[in-house]
Amino acid sequence: MSVLDKLNLSGKVAIVTGAGRGLGRAMALALADAGADLVLTARTHSQLEETADLVRVKGRPALWVSCDVTDSSSVGAMIDSAISEYGRIDILVNNAGGATPGMDHTLTDITDDEWRVGVGTNLTGAMHCSRVAIPHMLEEGGGKIINVTSGFGFRAARDNFIYTTAKAGLVNFTRALAMTYAPEIQANLIAPGLFPHDNQAMIEWWREGKYTPMGRLGKDEELGPLVVLLASGLTSYMNGQAIVLDGGGLAGGHAPTGFAPVVPLPEAS
Amino acid sequence: MRDQFSLDGKRALVIGASNPIGRAIAVALAEAGADVAVATTTPSKDEETIANSCANEIWALDRKGFAQAIDAADEVDVSALVERTVDELGGIEVLVNAHDLPFAKPVPETEFAEWRRVIDANLGGPFLAARSAGRRMLAHDHPGGSIINVASVLGERGLANGAAYCSAQAGVLNLTRALALEWARDGIRVNAIGAGWTEGMAMAGDDESRAKLERYLPYRRLARPDEIAGIAVYLASDVSAYLTGQVVWVEGGALSHV
Repeated sequence: MSVLDKLNLSGKVAIVTGAGRGLGRAMALALADAGADLVLTARTHSQLEETADLVRVKGRPALWVSCDVTDSSSVGAMIDSAISEYGRIDILVNNAGGATPGMDHTLTDITDDEWRVGVGTNLTGAMHCSRVAIPHMLEEGGGKIINVTSGFGFRAARDNFIYTTAKAGLVNFTRALAMTYAPEIQANLIAPGLFPHDNQAMIEWWREGKYTPMGRLGKDEELGPLVVLLASGLTSYMNGQAIVLDGGGLAGGHAPTGFAPVVPLPEAS
Repeated sequence: MRDQFSLDGKRALVIGASNPIGRAIAVALAEAGADVAVATTTPSKDEETIANSCANEIWALDRKGFAQAIDAADEVDVSALVERTVDELGGIEVLVNAHDLPFAKPVPETEFAEWRRVIDANLGGPFLAARSAGRRMLAHDHPGGSIINVASVLGERGLANGAAYCSAQAGVLNLTRALALEWARDGIRVNAIGAGWTEGMAMAGDDESRAKLERYLPYRRLARPDEIAGIAVYLASDVSAYLTGQVVWVEGGALSHV
């Protein structure tokens, strides 16, 4: 078997949360490209139907289920639908998350509700999904969990309490999954850098990536193959770890991009 | 998806193909479509024999390549090796530094010459190879490249009697980050694979210490070399074009432990 054959996901069933658009959609399409059957979830169904159509164009079946990951009974119903449709779960991509109200509030302005919704969306949702999916994975001998965190899961930012705390929590939740369920189940993380998802306002806000070391922003289609990699046999010993796809952002980060100190060279002896 | 990960048309050099991880990476790159030159890290006969058999595997896959025995901590040897790679394969887009000189000794008994040898072999060697290959990859007519340093969990965690080795491995991790930033806008990506405890690698010690290790690892076993190699295909391929300055750990969850 050639090393590239290990990328084949035929016969595998993958759940992608937050699959209506952006990264979730890109990851769902890449998983379909690799041969997986898809379960697509998000809160609003109109975009889900569109993703499902795109998956079917690739020749793979797609079941879409409206689901609020912050609500454990909604997650339970979603997993039940997946099992009644396909009979198994092999891959869970906990991608749902993102900006929530108040995420840029100063500490003293954060309300209880803002904190609860932010942490629920970016951390607790992954726990809800993993908790009910793992027993099904174990029935099939194992599976793969891929949690989507962020550069903010590893570094902090001024007046950014809710999001950074939740995303960092997701990192250690993943490590605990990795240690608990190895080797049957592997749990790893994807940490995307600046990915504007074709949102013009974000592209301008991030100055088209001129402040990232590589000088550009990430493209959604660059994240698709990464999720396939982590769902595949190519990474069978990778567990509890993150791949940070950020154009070099976290490699430096202590000073503005492009900063290089002018240090006098030592005299040649 | 296969097409996106394919290495067709890429020319790779793997230094340290005489150890199990380097060898597995060289073969995986060839399986994915690259032409692959391989080299030892010391001019020893034993290493040369392994590198030759690795080159045979590459030829059996219908890929171009050659094996060469070098002292990977010697400037002249390394520079000549990169030149030969460019001459015989037609270029170089991928460099894999899989240097590994195992060393364990209590610090009070460690000679400074031993310290220097360990640092030179494990950190100086990758620096020399990245410098030579980087000079070539920076050329105006060159499409850039991907440099992959193989480091160890011992670059992130300490180990008693491993001061020299652990220091060198930690150096490889930050060499990776600094070079990635230096070349981020030149189309050269620099990443590391953080390898866990792997079968056949000397730092895992004798059978008794391996058995002990296995009891503590989340997988209850060491990694197979081919399990480290899979990630090298991703890092070498254009599919990871936005990835640079990162350490991708392949350690079975060992670093998740408190």
